[in-house]
Amino acid sequence: AALFSRDPLEIKPSLCILVDSREISSGAEVISSLKAVHGVKVQVCSLSSSDYVVSNRMAVERKLQSELLNSVNRNKVTQRIQRLQSMFERICVIVEKDRIKTGETSRFFQRTQYYDSVLSALVQAGVRILFSSCQEETASLLKDLALVEQRKNAAICVPTEVEGRKREALNFYLSIPNLGYLAALNMCHYFGSVKKMANSFPFVSYSSPLDIATGAQVSPQKAEEIYRYLHYGFDVQMLPENLGAKGRSNAAARS
Amino acid sequence: MTTKANFPVTAGSIVVPYGHVIGNEKWRGSEIAQRLQGKIRLIFEDGLGLVDFHLSNRTCILYISEADLVAGDEFKRRLVRFRNARSLGGIVIVERTQISDQYFLAVQKLVVLELGMVLLPVANQGEASQLITQLVREQSKDHNSNPFLRKQCSQLAEPSLFRTVQQIPGVGKTKALLLLQQFGSIHRLCNASVKELELVVGQTVAQQIYSFLCS
Repeated sequence: AALFSRDPLEIKPSLCILVDSREISSGAEVISSLKAVHGVKVQVCSLSSSDYVVSNRMAVERKLQSELLNSVNRNKVTQRIQRLQSMFERICVIVEKDRIKTGETSRFFQRTQYYDSVLSALVQAGVRILFSSCQEETASLLKDLALVEQRKNAAICVPTEVEGRKREALNFYLSIPNLGYLAALNMCHYFGSVKKMANSFPFVSYSSPLDIATGAQVSPQKAEEIYRYLHYGFDVQMLPENLGAKGRSNAAARS
Repeated sequence: MTTKANFPVTAGSIVVPYGHVIGNEKWRGSEIAQRLQGKIRLIFEDGLGLVDFHLSNRTCILYISEADLVAGDEFKRRLVRFRNARSLGGIVIVERTQISDQYFLAVQKLVVLELGMVLLPVANQGEASQLITQLVREQSKDHNSNPFLRKQCSQLAEPSLFRTVQQIPGVGKTKALLLLQQFGSIHRLCNASVKELELVVGQTVAQQIYSFLCS
């Protein structure tokens, strides 16, 4: 009976999650559990902005409970979340219990007012929050998030490993401000060349066969932002001295 | 505190005066109510239905106690009824204790992943009152003071453009600047001919740039 019980529609392409390379040391069990227990395809890359990306639009940040208990990490945490807000449509923070160190029987969690205020601010900002008691549980939550996103047709579908010319194009796209890793990866696979990308319109239109919103799988607003960047007129006077000083004097000397 | 199945889902929005919280009558005299007194202005009202506390016209709290969790699935029906009936933002506060811990993951999955609501665990009513106090403070604050909402001040595009052009193989700082000054935008650079590129960076690199951009 088991042979016939499986609905053919349920066989879906395996889930894929991108993991920031720094998680190899701080979240080794999350990664191994994702692979071994949940059969998720894990691609380690230097995401830099977030810890995980589970779909075209969702970034996940893994935070230890102790990091949110006092304001020592305030700037680091707010900067990371602010950056993600500018890059991704959806953000989720997984609050993970600190690991019990050898010698400790259990860790006493003293809830602070600061902790409650951080949670309140995250809720108010529309950031999803999930709670986990260990790395294995975090892996399970990541898989659940990826599944929900897959149901909403936002799953990561493109090949996550790129080489050669495609890798160079990926780096080029990644330098576009506020563009997430996956949007850059999608562009890399969708547009045959950087030139085709640069000549496309933000949204589907008759005048252009390709468009940025479809190519990058981003919102119309984001597509518009990318379009404006591609057409932005460079003014050398607006370049900070420390960046172009050497180049600028050279350029001046040549002209 | 268990909710009877026949409890009506209240219709119409509740007006919550600024800086106040409207609590369901059933919480009168509870530990949460006592601890909230003096910190926020708590008013009790009858007929809030499924909702335990209204924090604002848009946000309310549903409280799931340890007893609710142990008692079975009644609280799930309550959450689903709330979700189906309300456009209000619902924050579910759940008592996560040694006894109720075993149910937590399933509840979290239901509330956050399936119903799309917010779930915040507390150990007891004392912690709940502290959390509610902070939620109310956050609600009554100016939107701009939320650090996670604050838009990054718009930065100049020039440094980014400078960086982007340097991602082209064979292009360093000097050539990037020359190219940007000559062509003005990424779009125009991408549409430059090899001849035009040669005038700026020389033959070999011009070929390299052209082939990167066009293939």
